[in-house]
Amino acid sequence: MKKQLAVLLTAAMVTSMGLSAVSVSAEDATASDGEAAESVAEPEWEYEEATITLMIDTDMTDAGLLAVCDLAKEKLGITVEVEYRVGGTDGDNLVKTRLASGDMTDICAYNSGALLSALNPSEYFADLSDDEWIASRLDATYASTVTVNDALYGVPACASQAGAVMYNKDIYEEYGLEVPTTWDEFLENCQVLQDAGETAVIGSFADSWTTQVVFLGDNANLMALDPDFATNLTNGEDTYAGNEYALASFQKCVDLNPYYNSDYLATSYDDACDMIYNGDGAHWICLTQALSNIYELYGDNSSIGVFAIPATEGDTYLTTWMPTSLYLNKNSENYDAALRFMEFYISDEALDCYTETILPDGPYCINGYELPDNAYPAVAEDMQAYFDSGMTGLAMEFLTDIKGSNCMQITQEAGSGQTTAEEAAAKYDSDCLLQAQQLGYEWAQ
Amino acid sequence: MKEKRVYNIWFVVPALIIFGIFFLLPILISFVFSLMNWTFTGMSWAGLRNFKTFFSDYSMTIGIKNTLIYAAATCIFKVVLGFLLAVFLTSGIRTKNFLRSVAFFPNIVSTIAVGITFTALMHPSKGLINKALAVIGITGPDWLGNTHLALGSVIFTDIWKGVGVATIIYIAGITSIDRSYYEAASIDGATSFQELMKITLPLCRPSMNSVIILALTSGMRCFDLIWTMTGGGPGFVTDVLASIVYKKYAAGYYGLSTAGNVIMFILIAVIAIPLQNWLQSREEV
Repeated sequence: MKKQLAVLLTAAMVTSMGLSAVSVSAEDATASDGEAAESVAEPEWEYEEATITLMIDTDMTDAGLLAVCDLAKEKLGITVEVEYRVGGTDGDNLVKTRLASGDMTDICAYNSGALLSALNPSEYFADLSDDEWIASRLDATYASTVTVNDALYGVPACASQAGAVMYNKDIYEEYGLEVPTTWDEFLENCQVLQDAGETAVIGSFADSWTTQVVFLGDNANLMALDPDFATNLTNGEDTYAGNEYALASFQKCVDLNPYYNSDYLATSYDDACDMIYNGDGAHWICLTQALSNIYELYGDNSSIGVFAIPATEGDTYLTTWMPTSLYLNKNSENYDAALRFMEFYISDEALDCYTETILPDGPYCINGYELPDNAYPAVAEDMQAYFDSGMTGLAMEFLTDIKGSNCMQITQEAGSGQTTAEEAAAKYDSDCLLQAQQLGYEWAQ
Repeated sequence: MKEKRVYNIWFVVPALIIFGIFFLLPILISFVFSLMNWTFTGMSWAGLRNFKTFFSDYSMTIGIKNTLIYAAATCIFKVVLGFLLAVFLTSGIRTKNFLRSVAFFPNIVSTIAVGITFTALMHPSKGLINKALAVIGITGPDWLGNTHLALGSVIFTDIWKGVGVATIIYIAGITSIDRSYYEAASIDGATSFQELMKITLPLCRPSMNSVIILALTSGMRCFDLIWTMTGGGPGFVTDVLASIVYKKYAAGYYGLSTAGNVIMFILIAVIAIPLQNWLQSREEV
């Protein structure tokens, strides 16, 4: 009964919000104290009272960002009002509508890579390439994913992450399983767990974006086998259905279907965070930003390990995602204050403050800023091993502008056993063609 | 008879201007936009390509099929259940004012809230419906996840929410029927079933026609409930035209999604206008 009441109340609350962005002052939303370690920041930012607005999505862990906002108020006099927006399709829609109607906040947090170029950034965001401090701080790979037509638009809002398999180490220990190095070994592990009555793989299909990660997170493996695939895809010379390595990524979505929890279609991202932590499921394939969500919920995630989505053939590479970035609204009335905040945001002082509040889900993309000593074991040990050995690669959306718009529905469909890998790949190819047409690519006309 | 103009033509001008600017003009503009390749970055002439692309979309067949099923099913149930409820609520029961409010209540709740609430109720393992079924030993299905059931579950919710409006329209129709017909019938010895079939039903036909048209058109452009409950999924099985249009819009394919809207407009018009004419012609007999 209580639960039902809670559901009703939640429903009522959501209605009153009208699914739109809600204003929350940064200082109210966090109790954390932004006491930062001493470190000399390059430019000397002046203290000048100002209020700026910043919009982030609710899928991103906001604790670190809010802590930096508090620090900025103390050190720079800048009060940051954070607006939250929904993620997924609705979030994209909201951002585009607010940009087009000239109603964007001073700073906007949004994806890097293909999704950024789809926003036509030169029209809406300030080019930061003349800012020597920012340009010198950004890691080259990261910078390339927020650069469109030689203009640099973003600074990282958080650490990079990976699309990988998170697994419950206690369950692995209990059944004496080893981290798999090939896809077949992975499926064998799943079979062992299923035979023993465990949920082998957690599916969080109620948040359909999570279903993409099985496919997207296999990209480093695909690119390792066919290094020209991204270029060929962009030029219309290759397709997912027509390339056996690319097709394998969709096959993985299909392969996992028998191993999901019984209510996988109604399980949300938040449910899955609970399940993997509590051992209600052995594996969960998602973005490693979930590690921070779990840490925020439970204050611990040391029982969770990470391994890359195993390759069907050849060596296994970890697919990484560049961080969500902060973009400066070109037409902002508080342009200078917002720029000052963004410069400050990537200083050692701010990063230390960020790290004290929430640990990174992957390496930072800031030159010379290393992972902290107390990083999550899944990041410091499991993921770092891939970085140390150079066995990483970027997700496809950072390698090409082409991303099929129905990707999450296609992988959801394939993952729920409605289509074969070939059908899913063919649908995705037609989405890619549509995207290329919309971008005005010659070959697609 | 000589022309007898009671009102000056200028009386209609304010309404016409508002209608023209906010209804006619956008419709005309949308026809133009549907012929453009309009994205977030710019606009160029595309001719009829958007329509071709939209029709060749792999989710199009299921979208049209679902739209028609959805519209027909919600319409039929609202027409029948609404009538029965209205007859019940106009009978001499004691608490009819209270019950009328109860029947109408779901309609004043926001669709989004209804969608979220029912999604929670229909959760396969934690939802109230399946927990209740479990008590009597039935393992409930995944109402919104099962590809055969998902659309039906949303249709059920739509009926639950929308039947109140149909009921109110019927009640208005039924209460306006002259009582003397019933008195005459009862003197002639008609049973209450005969009264229902021979008096109430034919005489509230105008209300029924309004309910049919309203339910059908709102069913054909249904979007909010589907989007909150299934998002068109799992995969594409519950996609309707409006959700396909929305997804194209969210992707930034504005020209293409406008073309989809034009297709929806035409489809609804092609079905609703002849239907309304036919219903009205029967009304006059």
